[in-house]
Amino acid sequence: MQDAVRGFIALAAQIGLNFDFLTSPFEVRMWLDGMATTLVLVALTIPLSLAGGVVLAAALTSDRPWLAGPARAYVELTRNTPTLVQLMFTVLVVNMLISQALGGAQNNPLGAYFWLVAVVSLHVAALHAEALRGGIEAVPSTTIEAAKGLGFSRLEVLRAVELPLALRTALPAIVNNLVNLVKLTTIGYAVAVNEITYASLMIWTQRDNVVELMIVLLVFFSAINLAVARIGALVERRLALPGFGQ
Amino acid sequence: MIPKTPLRAAALLAALLAGVSGASADATLDRIKAKAKFTVGVILSGAPFGSIDPKTQEQKGFNIDLARALAEKLGVALETVTVTPPNRVQFLQQGKVDALLANMQVTEDRAKIMDYPPTVFDRAGGAAIGRKDSGIKDWTDLKGKPVCVSQGSNFTQPLIEQYGAVVKGLPSQPESLLALKGGTCVIAVHTGATLGLMLEDRADEWKDYGILIPTEIVPADSVVWIRKGEKDTSAALDKALRELIASGKLLEIAKANRLTNTAFIEEQQKRLAAGK
Repeated sequence: MQDAVRGFIALAAQIGLNFDFLTSPFEVRMWLDGMATTLVLVALTIPLSLAGGVVLAAALTSDRPWLAGPARAYVELTRNTPTLVQLMFTVLVVNMLISQALGGAQNNPLGAYFWLVAVVSLHVAALHAEALRGGIEAVPSTTIEAAKGLGFSRLEVLRAVELPLALRTALPAIVNNLVNLVKLTTIGYAVAVNEITYASLMIWTQRDNVVELMIVLLVFFSAINLAVARIGALVERRLALPGFGQ
Repeated sequence: MIPKTPLRAAALLAALLAGVSGASADATLDRIKAKAKFTVGVILSGAPFGSIDPKTQEQKGFNIDLARALAEKLGVALETVTVTPPNRVQFLQQGKVDALLANMQVTEDRAKIMDYPPTVFDRAGGAAIGRKDSGIKDWTDLKGKPVCVSQGSNFTQPLIEQYGAVVKGLPSQPESLLALKGGTCVIAVHTGATLGLMLEDRADEWKDYGILIPTEIVPADSVVWIRKGEKDTSAALDKALRELIASGKLLEIAKANRLTNTAFIEEQQKRLAAGK
């Protein structure tokens, strides 16, 4: 293993790339931890954002104003402000206020990692909700009337008729949001969550090997997003309804 | 003038090559003289080293004044280019700047890819700021505790490897200090000079906080960085630096920019003025 790493470093050096940091156990651990953290973040935020998106979409299309109003306000607030600003605001300001209310930071279990997961999933949930709303509103009113005629309640119509059809219409937009979500996890660098961009930044500011780590970063994120897009395409094909314009 | 023998042709070629490589051995110094401008990459991350005056919008600070004094010594005008930790070395290597005065101390890794005139103009280490009631008195007290630094700080590695601290690198010093106040970390470690000045200038806001550990972490030499192998530029800048230190001009610059601890510069001045 060590020989393989040394061989790679020597090979890279021949084309002018400096991967010397791979000989430092401390930096390698930070870097691999960073990759693992990014993968865990993606695995956590994708389902969370989807669940949030469904709840928000249901609220948005509800005919009860006390449900639709706050949901609309939340969507406008979160998608109209930069996610980076939201994250720094929650970690540096909201979390400080929570600490103060709890009588000191030692009593506050919430940290930068929690806020990163929350902000990224809730931000993307708002985008999912809008995509789903488009899908729900595209369901023909005759179909809904038919369902109601069969005795379905409002919630049953949503769960059994509207959402399954809406999901199919909204899928391309949702996959797009998920690809964006993967890239969005990199804002963790701003609050010192050790995801891969943060780890790379900490290394290249010491070693000035920006180009080398940048190449790895681009390949790493391209690979994740290629996988997300492929899975998305697969789901689209599996769910396609013959005769439903697909 | 066509050489008649292969030997003469080879000799001529050798002479030509020597001439070419002689001229390009130090293109930077030639270029500085030719355009009558010394282009320096400076970092504007905060007083006293480099910042923007909110009133005049002009750059000021120790880095800027030192760059200006060096340009004067070289007999050319100064042009500054603002750099940041991720791009500073690229700027130097791509020739966008002739030298870097960007808060970069000497490290082994840096010395592999860049050169510097041997005269050291300052020494900077990290000081630990934290709540006075935190009970921290020594670097060894930081074991397992969260410590905030700026991303790219030299203090990261020793804090983790020597003292076992859990280091959190925030984008820059203001975020790091905000995180300290918010309780994300118990200590923040930054260059001693910047913390000293902040505690002095904003005494009210920081009355519960202080420099808790009397020693500084990894004090390292501050130098001017230049491209690898540029011996003439190095010699010219070294001469200028020695003159600035020996004449007391550097100490003047340090005091004008309110560097709180000037002991190292004073010592250097004594040594150089005595001709050592």
